[in-house]
Amino acid sequence: MVMNKQPFLLLAVFATLALLSCEPKVKSQLPSKGELDVTKVVYIGDGQMGGYMNDGLKNEGQKNSLANILAAQFELIGSNPANIPWINSASIGISTTGLAPLHLGYKTDCQGNVSLSPIRDASIGDLSSISQSCYNANSPFTVFGIPGLKLNQFTNTSLAGTNAFYNRMCATPNTSLLDELLAQNATFFQLYIGLEDVLDYAKSGGTHETLPSDLLFQQNYEQVVQNLTANGAKGAIATIPDVSQMPYFTTIPWNGLTLDNSNVGTLNNIYNPLGFYFQLGANPFMMVDSSANMFAVRQIQSSELLLLSLPLDSVKCNQMGVLFPIRDEFVLDANELSMLRGKIQSYNNFIRQIAQTYNLALVNTDQFVSNLADGFTYNGVSMSAKFVSGGAYSLDGIYLNPRGNAHFANAFIKAINQKYHSTIPEVNANKFDGVRFP
Amino acid sequence: MNSFIKIIFLFFGLQVGVFSYGQGFQVNFQGQKQQGMGCAGAALNLDASSLFFNPGASAFANKSEVNLAGTTIFAHVLYTDSTTQTSFRTQNPVGTPFSAYGLYHFKKSLEPLSIGLAVYTPFGSTVQWDPNWIGRFALTRLSLKAIFFQPTFSYRISERFGLGAGFVLSNGSVNLQKDIPIQDSLGQFGHAELAGKAIGFGYNGGILYHVNHKFSMGLSYRSKVNMSVNNGNASFTVPSALVSSFPNGTFSSQLPLPSVLTLGLCFTPNAKWSFVLDINRVNWKVYDTLAFDYAQNTSALGDTKSARNYKSICAFRGGAAYTATKKWTFRLGGGFGFTPVQSGYVTPETPDANRLYGTCGFSFTANHHFSIDASLYATRMQRTDKNLETQLNGTFTTMAFAPGISLNYRW
Repeated sequence: MVMNKQPFLLLAVFATLALLSCEPKVKSQLPSKGELDVTKVVYIGDGQMGGYMNDGLKNEGQKNSLANILAAQFELIGSNPANIPWINSASIGISTTGLAPLHLGYKTDCQGNVSLSPIRDASIGDLSSISQSCYNANSPFTVFGIPGLKLNQFTNTSLAGTNAFYNRMCATPNTSLLDELLAQNATFFQLYIGLEDVLDYAKSGGTHETLPSDLLFQQNYEQVVQNLTANGAKGAIATIPDVSQMPYFTTIPWNGLTLDNSNVGTLNNIYNPLGFYFQLGANPFMMVDSSANMFAVRQIQSSELLLLSLPLDSVKCNQMGVLFPIRDEFVLDANELSMLRGKIQSYNNFIRQIAQTYNLALVNTDQFVSNLADGFTYNGVSMSAKFVSGGAYSLDGIYLNPRGNAHFANAFIKAINQKYHSTIPEVNANKFDGVRFP
Repeated sequence: MNSFIKIIFLFFGLQVGVFSYGQGFQVNFQGQKQQGMGCAGAALNLDASSLFFNPGASAFANKSEVNLAGTTIFAHVLYTDSTTQTSFRTQNPVGTPFSAYGLYHFKKSLEPLSIGLAVYTPFGSTVQWDPNWIGRFALTRLSLKAIFFQPTFSYRISERFGLGAGFVLSNGSVNLQKDIPIQDSLGQFGHAELAGKAIGFGYNGGILYHVNHKFSMGLSYRSKVNMSVNNGNASFTVPSALVSSFPNGTFSSQLPLPSVLTLGLCFTPNAKWSFVLDINRVNWKVYDTLAFDYAQNTSALGDTKSARNYKSICAFRGGAAYTATKKWTFRLGGGFGFTPVQSGYVTPETPDANRLYGTCGFSFTANHHFSIDASLYATRMQRTDKNLETQLNGTFTTMAFAPGISLNYRW
């Protein structure tokens, strides 16, 4: 009898061992701050830093801003939490031009076709969301992500009068942004500035001749960095991306003019005398070019870009791009593009030089944006610069959405870790929202 | 107790030369006695489970036998992402590979002949990841099952030489799920589920040769089985605006289960001891691509082809058995298998690595008819890789324990 019990005893031992079945233990690297002093970290930039997306600023965007994502990771190495000039979470938010932000919805075009399209949340933005001052002397802001902010506005003492986003957060209306920043006495700053300086030109199809001269750009940039580092603070600065790689400029195809038998003949009759020929299928749109010929019209080239501001209903139903050539404000032509890219390159050369001179971490935003344009895979998710489906840009085609911001934040973290020998963990970008579909 | 201590001592002394394996999504739990000895045993007739290990060995059966066995696999995988330093775990259900063997031994003029039916699960895997894990867009769940039915003839040509062969019908199912990185208006991610039944055919043959009273060798070959999924069911949960881009429908796919060539050696110096060693060559090279062909393609839903690029590998396994009394036998063993998964191709469905494992077990023979076997298998493996396709970059640590039991009846 004793022997007969033994198998069951042994079985019990096996079963216990199995139930113990110890799981593998977590052995992850502890975040360390390396050479960083994170006593006071401030975030400085335009809307991209502050959470502007879908052509608007609202609470949801601020939560998913470049600054807030970075701040959460910096908290892991003992930094202060971000202090953000929050917009009321109940507000629909507002764009820099007073409009309501965009969402993806159904739109009926002039031909009666219903399709997915960015549409405004409301007929106008919520002006009240930014009309009241939210400044609190006891709790100074650490995030200065001011939509529309340009480099030449840092020392402008009347900025509050022209930028409501700044007006609501500044201590007094006639303090310059630079003075506000210096009052923070930051030990580490993260600065991404210069995008708005080139966007004005690009988004106007080159009709606003507002690209700053190299000299002015250099003076302004160095002045900001010099002041921010005067107390010994360290920081990260970022280059300016080639904005022409963003979906605002790459979504509408140059050869989107599709012709059938009935209209190809008509167009050839009209345009052949000028030397322009049309064929069945895809054809280049017609655009205005004063230097082209006496009619100031020509076909757009494959290297030239049509802007997302192009009124598509006029194209579909009113012969825009066909009998009525597309106006200059909707096109970045070859000359304008080469001017734009040349300027960005020379600004970036200077930013790189400043990073060296002042011994700062350098974030290669230009590289980041061009990687997006090429497309990459991240933890099973394909990311690209394609409008809506690419997953990184918001519906305005320029500012990144939350997931895009998370990837951009990782570019900051990599550059900072490399420069200051810290081990701040990157964020899981896939946890953040891409574009939401109805 | 004394006999236990001896065996453990022996095992450590033997370890360098005693290896074995269980790689990819292969499951090497087809016999409790073999599992006690590092999953080796192609060179001897242990019981009816030889129908699987070497049908040639079954030719040396001198009784009819029924053998029912089950193993429970407790497997835990921890994934630590290298860039975010975040960790995620699997929530795997307990794996339950089983086997059922029936062997009929003829008497009188048909004495050298045995026939049998083997039912077993040589491949399979269920991996269930934490629903919010960082690789959710690569995989959330994979369940792969294959049950092999193998009718077998074994014939003893001489006192020394036996051969056997069986036909294999494999019936299986696959269920693969992952999230789609598209969000609805509430921010919920989409989900894809591919489920289907698969059928495949193959064979299993082997020979056993007794060199002398102390030494025997076996050679067995289990063929490749191509599991084909036709009319699998593809279902997608996506925002309503994109339903037409992700049509629910059917898909087809193929999963090749590799052939295994085994050379087995057995040394029996006396009535108390026996030592076994198996060397496997597993032709994993056949698994080069995992492809899904959807019946209805759209601009968003194309057929997929994922490179797997497995390589053929060798594995070594072995162990010893000590027959302490007429009723008790104790076993100890272990093994080592190279991984078929090359760098750049490690996936969350098979986070495989070179694998070292240890096993032990015992048998209790109640009487001439009835006996019980039990075994325990344990392994730990780790693999750090950056997957070329998904860019998943981190370390998988796997721990698995597998206790098993079998009931045998002979007559």
